[in-house]
Amino acid sequence: MTEETRPATAWALLLRGLRRNKAQLAGSFGLLSLWQACETLVPVLIGLTIDRAVATGEIREMVIWGLSLCALFGFLSYGYRFGAQIGFSVVQREMHRIRVEIAAHSLHPRGARTTLRPGETLSLATADAELVGQFIRSMGFTIAAVISIIGASWYLLTLDLVLGLVVLIGVPTVLLLTQAVTPAISRHTEHQQATVAEATGVATDLVRGLRVLKGIGAEPVAGARYRALSGRARDASVRSTSTYGAMTGLTDGLAGIFLAVVALVAGHRALSGDITIGELIAVVGLTQFLAEPLGMLGDISAHTARAHASARRIVDFLGTPHLVPVGDADLDGTGLGQAAELRLVSVAAPGLDHVSLASRPGEVLGIAVTDPTAAASLMGLVNGSLSPDSGDLTLGGFPMAKLTSRARDEHLLVNPHHVDLFEGTLRSNIDATAALSSHELDRLLDASACADVVSLVPEGLDQPVTPDGATFSGGQRQRVALARALAADAPVLLLHDPTTAVDAVTEHRIAAGIRELRGDPASRRTTWLITSSPSLLAQCDRVVLLSDGVVAAEGTHHDLAALPAYAEVVLR
Amino acid sequence: MSARELLPIASRKETTGLAWRLVASQRLPLIASIVSFVLAGLCALVAPWMLGRIVDLVIDGAPERDLTVAALVIGAAAAAGGLFTWASVAFLARAGEPALAALREDVLDKALALDSARVESAGTGDLLSRVGDDARTVANSLTEIVPTLVNSLVVVSFTAAGLFALDWRLGLAGLGAAPFYVLGLRWYLPKSGPFYARERVAQGERAQAMVSGLQGAPTVRAFGMSADQVATIEARSDEARGISVTVFKLLTRFGARSNRAELIGLLLVLTTGFLLVRADSTTVGAVTAAALYFHRLFNPINALLYIFDSVQSTGASLSRLAGVSLLPPPPARSGSLADEPGPLVLAGIDHAYVEGRPVLSSVTVTIAPGERVALVGATGAGKTTLGAIAAGVLPPVAGTVELAGTSLAELPSPLLRSRVALISQDFHVFAGTVRDAVTLVDAEASDEAVRAALAMVSALGWIDALPDGLDTVIGGGAHPVTPAQAQQLALARIALADPWFVVLDEATAEAGSAGARDLEQAALAVTEGRGALVVAHRLTQSESADRVLVMHEGRVVEEGGHDELLAAGGRYAELWAAWSAN
Repeated sequence: MTEETRPATAWALLLRGLRRNKAQLAGSFGLLSLWQACETLVPVLIGLTIDRAVATGEIREMVIWGLSLCALFGFLSYGYRFGAQIGFSVVQREMHRIRVEIAAHSLHPRGARTTLRPGETLSLATADAELVGQFIRSMGFTIAAVISIIGASWYLLTLDLVLGLVVLIGVPTVLLLTQAVTPAISRHTEHQQATVAEATGVATDLVRGLRVLKGIGAEPVAGARYRALSGRARDASVRSTSTYGAMTGLTDGLAGIFLAVVALVAGHRALSGDITIGELIAVVGLTQFLAEPLGMLGDISAHTARAHASARRIVDFLGTPHLVPVGDADLDGTGLGQAAELRLVSVAAPGLDHVSLASRPGEVLGIAVTDPTAAASLMGLVNGSLSPDSGDLTLGGFPMAKLTSRARDEHLLVNPHHVDLFEGTLRSNIDATAALSSHELDRLLDASACADVVSLVPEGLDQPVTPDGATFSGGQRQRVALARALAADAPVLLLHDPTTAVDAVTEHRIAAGIRELRGDPASRRTTWLITSSPSLLAQCDRVVLLSDGVVAAEGTHHDLAALPAYAEVVLR
Repeated sequence: MSARELLPIASRKETTGLAWRLVASQRLPLIASIVSFVLAGLCALVAPWMLGRIVDLVIDGAPERDLTVAALVIGAAAAAGGLFTWASVAFLARAGEPALAALREDVLDKALALDSARVESAGTGDLLSRVGDDARTVANSLTEIVPTLVNSLVVVSFTAAGLFALDWRLGLAGLGAAPFYVLGLRWYLPKSGPFYARERVAQGERAQAMVSGLQGAPTVRAFGMSADQVATIEARSDEARGISVTVFKLLTRFGARSNRAELIGLLLVLTTGFLLVRADSTTVGAVTAAALYFHRLFNPINALLYIFDSVQSTGASLSRLAGVSLLPPPPARSGSLADEPGPLVLAGIDHAYVEGRPVLSSVTVTIAPGERVALVGATGAGKTTLGAIAAGVLPPVAGTVELAGTSLAELPSPLLRSRVALISQDFHVFAGTVRDAVTLVDAEASDEAVRAALAMVSALGWIDALPDGLDTVIGGGAHPVTPAQAQQLALARIALADPWFVVLDEATAEAGSAGARDLEQAALAVTEGRGALVVAHRLTQSESADRVLVMHEGRVVEEGGHDELLAAGGRYAELWAAWSAN
């Protein structure tokens, strides 16, 4: 999904669905129109059969007209079958594409600055996408309805000018009047979809925090909170559906009143002899037939109002800006390769007061902070989700904001402290692309002490991991995540408190492992470790202490240990 | 895709039973809705009847006034019909939406009561697609099924009666179509049923893929896995799409079979009419009317047939909702406790998640009221499992856990939780206000109580600095809180709930830098005066404990005071050396 194709308005999104499927939709609408035409011909053919066969008693005629009916039903049946199939496929594909578009936006390499919770985004990608799909489906019926109305009006016009005018004025009037309810439908639908999404969002949140809830017996309170939101969603749905009912009722009523007017006028014209009895019957039959497409159009405008509300929610979401700015410096051919230097020059951000930091390739730099905000800012600045208030960040001399996503991915890994594991196996979590040799894998499993985790489970590296990796303990998850970070072998690696859930002995081994894997000066790898663990800091080439937003001290762990401010942060 | 153990799906019988109970629970609005639909249907019959009358009036050359009256009747019936339609839809929404809301709330309640491991092994997507996709499918089809059913039955019964009234032989001829309709249904229903079931499972997989990806978004971005994750979502979404298209193709083939039945019926009526007219035993007019009546049956009969499809599709969703809703409630427990705290005693505890791979072996621990016991050892030693068993969150495979002489298994859950609480290592920031986060343990708590609890864990400082204080919305995309702050809130819940015993499973681990010591102070304050089992990697916590238990490979291998164990020179001494080095 490129930026250019992203629709700017709800209408653009709805129309795009029609435009980008126009060939197939044309086929579908054509076949459905054929089916409609055949359906209209059925009573005509019945009439002919009675006229030519039943009334005459000619067996030959009965056979001929019977066969004609068979042929008509053949067209009718296949027209519907394939027309509907094509249309349905288009609708399903369009909903699928919107879903993927929503997923791609929220999981974009540069992120999305959205306040929606995962459950709400899920609702957007399912409930709202469905309503947008329904719009495309209803277009087929719109076209059929419009064709029917035009055909019938044309016939009535040729038959009798007065009747024709009644229809020409009546149809738009009925349609206009029904539009009175449309804004309410749109508003109520938008509210309904928002409350439904909110309820889904809270359900997701609660289920995700189930372990926490269980520990404190908060299930009843949590259930009550969901009930409150579900109740709001229910009330909003009742309101929206009632409005929809009002629309349907209004359309039905107006169509019926219109029919009464036509019948009245036609009756008088027939009484006065302006039209024949036969023509009267035709007019009455046709007007009755007209009520259906007329009602359908009213129904469709209600559907469209709903689809429009959902489309607006989707467009708003797709329009949220990215977290990470993008540039066009891909760092190819700069010869940077493995030795990209990360540098902060007088950077100001929350918790950082004009901080300058740099490390030479091959260095393991420890960063101890007194204020968690400073750590969060450092992570955000380097992963690009946070822009500095002032100052510059460069990677290999290039301003970070100018880098392409690919250049970032190739040179930089900012490993989040929070561990997210994905469904699969231990192996697929650590080495998703199966790029590592078993020797390399063993090395980093040892370095991260993840080898202990692997040896504890029955199936080793092929042990299944459930979504969220909930079957593993916090310390085990943390080590799997560390192994994954080391497996990426990024030229520049930022780790934030990678061992908080690990016991002291294991932490020692991990500290040495990181040092061994990343600290070889010949590898030209750069590693920044934001931590307060003395075990980790002791293995760093150099440690900086960030206090009150500035670099308060710098040296080796042992040099700094004598400083009270440093000891306060780091020592146990 | 791994073979996940999905949550249960109810049998057809159970689902039907649940559907009836739901319908019965909303009897009044449902009856009002059906009556309105019937009235709307009757109003719709007025127009054709009056139109026929107008033709007759014109033929008879009746006065214009009669004509006007007939037209007015049509108009009045239309207006009344419109009102009834509105009323019927509005009543239906009042019947259906509350029933569905109650169902999805029940599903979530039941899910919350399930063992968390059970929900996790099914995948949260399974549950979410049930309260989301499935509830929506049922809601949508409800708004289609009821009106269609009522309208179609009204039209079919009136028209069929008219057909037989015209000439019973022509009526019988029309009835000849019935077996072909039945054949179509019998061809279609067994084929489509499994597809609907698969479609719903695929929707669950789709939800799972989306939620996993979205929740892990920071990691996905950091590792440049966006394309892979989106590809996974795309594949799951495409699979659901494919099944939907397949089942729709079946539906259109079923439609073709209905067309065949229509044609056969029509030809039977016409041929019978042809023969009867030749035999002079009926009139051409009667045959005309009969054929047109039969033609008017096409739409309502098709609508009725498609209801079978809707019911099947809805049933697939309903059975998934029912599967969770009908889960048996946790057995009633009648155990009670004295007002005074008694000891928490774990005796001979064995546990294994997978048979043959013991995690705990004959562990016996007693914690006195007010005693702080630290649990240390390497990761994987079984500390978390022991903590969960001590808190009564996880029943052990063997052994007993008693609180003040009563087995935890006999205590009603609310009573147990008010006496023993667990803070696990997985912290979670619930979306909502700061107050909401704390009052999870007591929805009725006053602001004073909440502030006192927050003060105890030293969180009041940063909370008062928030833009809206206690009313600040945190979590999700709202105001961010650090892991340390999140755990402070978790500790504040304990302070508010005030249990006898608390199990802290690495409650301070997530704090990481900077916050750890403050959090330890908070943990200390919260455990003051109550029994505590503290799983700790930061050994400052074991240093300050009354007693230290050292676990190794599922057994308690050392037990004693901090100094005592250091002097003994065992595993604890080794851990302490590693801890205090550097």
